Amino acid sequence: MENLSLKNHISIQDLNAFYSGHHALRDITVEIPQKQITAIIGPSGCGKSTFLKCFNRLIDLTDGARASGKIIVGGIDVLDGSIDITDVRRRMGLLPQKPNPLPMSIYDNVTYGPRIHGIKDKKRLDGIVEKYLKIAGLWDEVKDRLKSPASKLSIGQQQRLCLARGLAVEPEIILCDEPTSALDPLSAQHIEQQLLKLKNDYTIVIVTHNIHQAMRLADYVVHLYLGELVEYGPASEVFKNPKEERTRAYINGTFLADLKTDAEINLKGNVCPYNFMYAKQALHDLSNGKLLKVVVDYPTAVTEVPRGMEADGHKVLSVKQINKTDWEIVIQK
Amino acid sequence: MRVRQLKDLLAGRLMIAFAIFSSLLVFLIAIALYWRSKPILEAKSLSDLLLGSTWLPFQGEFGFYPFILGTLYVTILAMIFAVPLSILSAIYLAEYAHENLREKVLPLIDLLAGIPPVVYGVFGVLAIVPLVEYIAPVIGKLGIPFLRAESYSTGFSLLAGGIVLAIMVFPIIISISHEVFRAVPSEIRDASLSLGATKWQTIKHAVIRTALPGIAAAIILGFSRAFGETMAVLMVVGNVPSVPKSVFDPAYPMPALIANNYGEMMSIPLYDSALLLAALILMLVILLFTLAARLVLIRIERSMAHG
Repeated sequence: MENLSLKNHISIQDLNAFYSGHHALRDITVEIPQKQITAIIGPSGCGKSTFLKCFNRLIDLTDGARASGKIIVGGIDVLDGSIDITDVRRRMGLLPQKPNPLPMSIYDNVTYGPRIHGIKDKKRLDGIVEKYLKIAGLWDEVKDRLKSPASKLSIGQQQRLCLARGLAVEPEIILCDEPTSALDPLSAQHIEQQLLKLKNDYTIVIVTHNIHQAMRLADYVVHLYLGELVEYGPASEVFKNPKEERTRAYINGTFLADLKTDAEINLKGNVCPYNFMYAKQALHDLSNGKLLKVVVDYPTAVTEVPRGMEADGHKVLSVKQINKTDWEIVIQK
Repeated sequence: MRVRQLKDLLAGRLMIAFAIFSSLLVFLIAIALYWRSKPILEAKSLSDLLLGSTWLPFQGEFGFYPFILGTLYVTILAMIFAVPLSILSAIYLAEYAHENLREKVLPLIDLLAGIPPVVYGVFGVLAIVPLVEYIAPVIGKLGIPFLRAESYSTGFSLLAGGIVLAIMVFPIIISISHEVFRAVPSEIRDASLSLGATKWQTIKHAVIRTALPGIAAAIILGFSRAFGETMAVLMVVGNVPSVPKSVFDPAYPMPALIANNYGEMMSIPLYDSALLLAALILMLVILLFTLAARLVLIRIERSMAHG
């Protein structure tokens, strides 16, 4: 019962959220433990992102949206209209779904927050840039071109830059909204590794619809379904012995649909031969017998990727079209 | 059957012809203007024409300098008034205003763009000119450069022209820069706000920065509108062909020169050619500016569409 000794960091009480009449979240009461990774899982449109947006009140930006109830962080109710929301937001870093570098240099992206909060000393800013780019695992790749525009970085690098930028204002909490869904598998893995390291110092809340990711990362799991809290608890218990039938169905359903794959990569937007190379790379990281799912939208790849994989001695289990443009290829190493 | 197909063919051809004709029109006008202004370009050097400040058509002196400066001054003055006001309005409408307000105000601003210039001119004569006449002695005493009133100001002046023009370019700059602000991805705002920036810090450091090329394009389009505006300016600017030394002095912009004089005293040698040269210069400058602005806007549209 070690979990009982954990301190709660965020306490959510009777949270309700509305989008111009639509009741997006219903009576959610849950505690988020300190310095742990809490994963919020559930199907698309179940209110996961809305839930996260209530934490830092970015929900205020949407016309006609409102939240009621209490979200207490360090004794302050975030949803109380009279508090200084900028201070609350500073204490919660945000890692978005799609990397959102600001239109400025790498250096300026990292120092944006500190500068806004009044740090002007050049040496101190230099130190901040180095420190947080190192924590985000980006320093070695960009240290020689800190002044070049952030938009020149690859998507994966941009996401690590966003992580560094968020950490530079010294938050206590990191909110991640499906942080790897736009990334290639290697970059996604990179981000996951950083998050696992960061949980020693930060409370991390991650929204994901990728069950495997939740399993790899989470200490705690919150399952939302149609705006309602279905189940929450330590990850080991929720995944092995879900109390609720709906959670069981969700977890199993995801597995069945996935053919129980061990890894998946999304190669949409890639052309050959890159499709082929990425798939090979991803297979290389798996042990023998494991399954890899590859999603492609490049017509040639539909025939060429399976052919190439078989030539490499892997087994292609299925190739099926999942929608108008996308194909799903499952390969066993 | 035959007739139907023939009609179809004919309709297609006819429309192509019209489309080509209307896009060629701009070149036709430019060529015609050049051809008609050739006599004066052959008789005088271009630098004499552009930099000479004597305008005495009877004696064959055609110095455009006062007119070029008059156009530039009145346009720049208009932009000094219009740019900050329009950009701030656009920021308010795009970033702060509630949807209800936005939906009511934007059509009104668009309506402003549809008012005929002559109405603005009348408004200028009735309201702005007396205002300028009233404030000229007061401000003129302060002795600030360009704001001195050396002699009595009738109110028909650069300043009156600038104010009227500013009102006329408001709607262009506001509606384009409003669009540009709305096109700034919300992720940019999220990024800045989530770092603890206030709304104003977010707008100042992140949103405006992203929107900058678009704002530049909006300003350039406003500039070219102001540059070529004729009627309203002509009615309030005084039309005296000398280089203005203060905003309370009258000026004589090029469009007004052409509108006031073309068709009269055409027997004076080279007069017609000189006026058409003025028209050519005006047209080329505006074409250049408009083209530049359009290119910037197209580039923004593409970069926004491709994320």
